[in-house]
Amino acid sequence: MREEYLLAALRMGVGADPVPENVSAAARAAFDLRVPGGVPARPVDLPVPPGTRSSPAAETAQPGVRRFSADGLVIDIETTVAGGRLEVAGQVSPAPGPDARVEVRTPHIAKVRVPSGTGHFAVAGLPPGWVSVVCHRPDHPPVFTRWIHVRG
Amino acid sequence: MSADNSFALLDQDVWEDLVARFDGRMWAVARAFGLSAADAADAVQGAWLRLVESADTIRDPERIGAWLVTTTRHEAARLSRKARGEVVSDMDVPDTALPDPTAAVVDADFGRHVWRRLDLLGEPCRSLIRLYVLHPEARYAQIAIRLNLPVGSIGPTRARCMARLRALVEEEAR
Repeated sequence: MREEYLLAALRMGVGADPVPENVSAAARAAFDLRVPGGVPARPVDLPVPPGTRSSPAAETAQPGVRRFSADGLVIDIETTVAGGRLEVAGQVSPAPGPDARVEVRTPHIAKVRVPSGTGHFAVAGLPPGWVSVVCHRPDHPPVFTRWIHVRG
Repeated sequence: MSADNSFALLDQDVWEDLVARFDGRMWAVARAFGLSAADAADAVQGAWLRLVESADTIRDPERIGAWLVTTTRHEAARLSRKARGEVVSDMDVPDTALPDPTAAVVDADFGRHVWRRLDLLGEPCRSLIRLYVLHPEARYAQIAIRLNLPVGSIGPTRARCMARLRALVEEEAR
């Protein structure tokens, strides 16, 4: 039996530290973040540059950069937090064409960008926390990345 | 099973029922890692987001509750390590087919049972655990003052007392 579970049960047993309403509201709202018919892009380890010490944490290959792949599409995401706001830049490969849209989502806000001719996109001014990217292409199901957690 | 079919299993009513049944347990698990309220909220939200993205892998809806608790523990542990400055990967997610079966103990009824077991422990365990449980934001220094113990002894004593309590509960379950 895990100590954390025992401690959690003890707190629940006396109603100590109940779940805040905003946490419950966020849980209910998460239902609307599903991407029906979407294809989940799985994380892919980035190649570690020569001379770099290997690490089990994929993100250490290139700090802040994560790669996801599905349905013949690769989505690279680089995240930074500046001035308390989250910036997300990335590239969809192969470039998905002029009719594609890239949606960068947090649980609270989504911003849509038309990727450049090389598949690049960038979004700034997001609240730090959980973020995911969805690529919408004509005649293809949307491809969405895993949610990743970014704080300053 | 396609993603669409899985989401059919998880319609709005089922989702809200899951929230009503499990968000309190998930919050308690996240806070048991010593996370601040903001970090615990992130851990709980992370578990729900994992459910959103993993729906196509869920074969047994009866296991969702245990998986949510397991996934909250996973996210809370990751945030806790990150808060300590460790480099952690956010790429691994618990297998939806293998939720931790011991997650079932995160329950108010079981908690009341454990409180009765706690009364069997002597001091300072009884008072220390009581303070630690009832005041999640309390610092070791504050607990040390209340119990008149050296601050450096609080962490090791707490670990020892929790181990004794856990042994007591597990012994009874055999």
